[in-house]
Amino acid sequence: MALENLNLDIKKGATGLLGPNGAGKSTFLKTILGLIQATSGDGTVLGHDIRTEGAAIRSRIGYMPEYDALNPEMDAINQVRYSGELLGMNPVVALQRAHASLQYVGLGEQRYREIKSFSTGMKQATKLACAIIHDPELIIADEPSNGLDATAREFMITTLINTVKQGDRSVLMASHLMEDVERVCDDIVLLHKGKLAAQGRIKDLKAIDREIEIHVWGGASKLEAAMKHRGMRVRREGRVMRIAHESDDLTSDILRCASEVGAQIRRMHEYEASLEDLFLVIMENLGYEVKTSEDLLSHPINARKVDAPGHMGGGAA
Amino acid sequence: MSEDENVIPQANSMPPTQPQPIPQPQTIPVSPQLPIAETPQTIPVSPQLPIAETPQPIPQPIPQPIPQPALSDESEAMPMATAEAPVTGQTRMETAWGSSEGDEEYSEMASVGQTGAGEIFQQNYEPWRGELNPRWMRNWAILRHHVLGIIKKGHRPWGVPTKIFLVIVFFASLSDAGLTLLASLIGESEFHSMWGVNRDNLYGHVLGFFPRNVMYYPIVAALLVGGVISEDRLHGTSALYFSRPINRFDYVGMKYASVAIIQAIIIIFTLFLYYLTEIMAFGRGWAWIIDTFPIFLGALMGGVLLIITYTSIGLALSSVSKGKFFPGIGLLAIILGTKTLAIIVKNLFDREILYLLSPYDCLAHVGQALVSTQPTYDQYSWTWSLASLIAMNAIALYVLSSRVSSMEVTRE
Repeated sequence: MALENLNLDIKKGATGLLGPNGAGKSTFLKTILGLIQATSGDGTVLGHDIRTEGAAIRSRIGYMPEYDALNPEMDAINQVRYSGELLGMNPVVALQRAHASLQYVGLGEQRYREIKSFSTGMKQATKLACAIIHDPELIIADEPSNGLDATAREFMITTLINTVKQGDRSVLMASHLMEDVERVCDDIVLLHKGKLAAQGRIKDLKAIDREIEIHVWGGASKLEAAMKHRGMRVRREGRVMRIAHESDDLTSDILRCASEVGAQIRRMHEYEASLEDLFLVIMENLGYEVKTSEDLLSHPINARKVDAPGHMGGGAA
Repeated sequence: MSEDENVIPQANSMPPTQPQPIPQPQTIPVSPQLPIAETPQTIPVSPQLPIAETPQPIPQPIPQPIPQPALSDESEAMPMATAEAPVTGQTRMETAWGSSEGDEEYSEMASVGQTGAGEIFQQNYEPWRGELNPRWMRNWAILRHHVLGIIKKGHRPWGVPTKIFLVIVFFASLSDAGLTLLASLIGESEFHSMWGVNRDNLYGHVLGFFPRNVMYYPIVAALLVGGVISEDRLHGTSALYFSRPINRFDYVGMKYASVAIIQAIIIIFTLFLYYLTEIMAFGRGWAWIIDTFPIFLGALMGGVLLIITYTSIGLALSSVSKGKFFPGIGLLAIILGTKTLAIIVKNLFDREILYLLSPYDCLAHVGQALVSTQPTYDQYSWTWSLASLIAMNAIALYVLSSRVSSMEVTRE
């Protein structure tokens, strides 16, 4: 997948790289690693030119591939040590760092076991140890929690968070698991068909979708009509309605409407869109345009078009 | 009918129903009270006991046998009584949740939190402020990893059969050196002329067909090249290399050098030992060395050509595969298959031209020219064989380079 007019600035800290299959995530990672020559344009990673200083970039980046990248016949300690030697570390230093890295990723007790006897979670941890052996400034983690059970996944996410917060390293995390991206990253970059679809802080991007969700019993249509009459933006699916959170006294207004039409509100709570919702919305509606979180916040109504199907009163086709 | 009236109640929004009468718990007959002695036995303690007085022995209470409850017919029948009651599960619920009255003390119901017993694993990120060494150190790491793997654990894990076969071939390749030493010990000149260093024996050490180029060297090459690149494709370990500051040339160059060095230990190092044995065992002087050194160099060059050719073809096959079986078998098929085909054609049609397709025969022909031994290929010049060898190597290296440059770092 070719990247086109991709102009982005990734800040220090944790950034999630999102996009559907074929969006250009792998191409983007290879470009960052200096393995693909850009036909036009330029870029720098950690101050190095991606076109001419690929080796220097790779010396300062730790890459954790998505797929198996370990020799199953080797034991973990020697595999990690060898990955350090491939960076140019002295064998003795590489061995010391291999011990420290494996301890950090929770494999201190298993470091002399052959990798073929490892579970998926342990293999992922070993790959992470290979990536951090030289204490890189930027760690690229490609689907780090893919295929892990709940415990291993939790540990991997915690480890990445610690690496960012305690180790003060930057992480670029490509993942399909939005929940994990949300936990680790502060910012996201969304790619779609080789273009930048959106980028910005997750908190800002999610703010556009704040709504109040109510569950109604009896008189739902009347209530919907009454709320719309008062200028509220309502999405409805059966008895569940979501009202855009645009005014401070929204809950009072909703209750007033319900009282007027005699509808029962059985449940009311604030609904915050997940990153997954946001991803789907942007992919569906904004895929071809570059939108920063500022763009999305400045034109929330046009940007959202979230919604329930048209026959339910939503804006989407 | 409006939509509101037609709403189907959801599972989580059941319409209010009449409260069901809670079944009263069945009274379970309690077992009869244990017959406790009405007047408890107490130890009489006098508060005004004079201190000076000799303390009287405290009368110990005579242990009374605990009277066993006399099981009446009623108590024996208790389990039966529960069976008669309707099964509500209430007793079990009370065990789990407390009584149904809801008057329990919360403190009694609260589960005790686990006491912190210290933390065994504490995750601490340790920074590293060292300097990374330059390119030559990275290349040395690849070379070391592959070559030391033959003799040392912790490096490239060569298979045990490969290691055993290499040891066997190493000692078998030293057979001419051993027999030369034996000839010097027994002093038999005829024995020495058969095994000692001469033009034919130096050629034979490197390029003799049987057994060395049937049973030893091609099999060694096949075992070595089999998984060198193909296993990186299979296990995805190419990502480990290419996400590091290692370029494709360094990667393939060091792998090539590793395989070539291991073969050189078996072919060229043993040739050197053979030559040295002759010098040491027979006390050869400078005159003999000056006389025979060009022949030795010719054999050595023949050995180098053999290693290069077998390695190039083998690695090219390894780079197009994802397993070690196909490259190994493929290399043997090319070396021995083309030789067999050329022999058949020569015997049937008396034409030697197909030997140009056989890597071994081209090497042998060029080797004969280098060592200046009696040529066995009469129908064309050795330069044709050299050209064929160059072409074979060029094709193999082209395949190798194009395959390695297309290896992926993100997915293989």
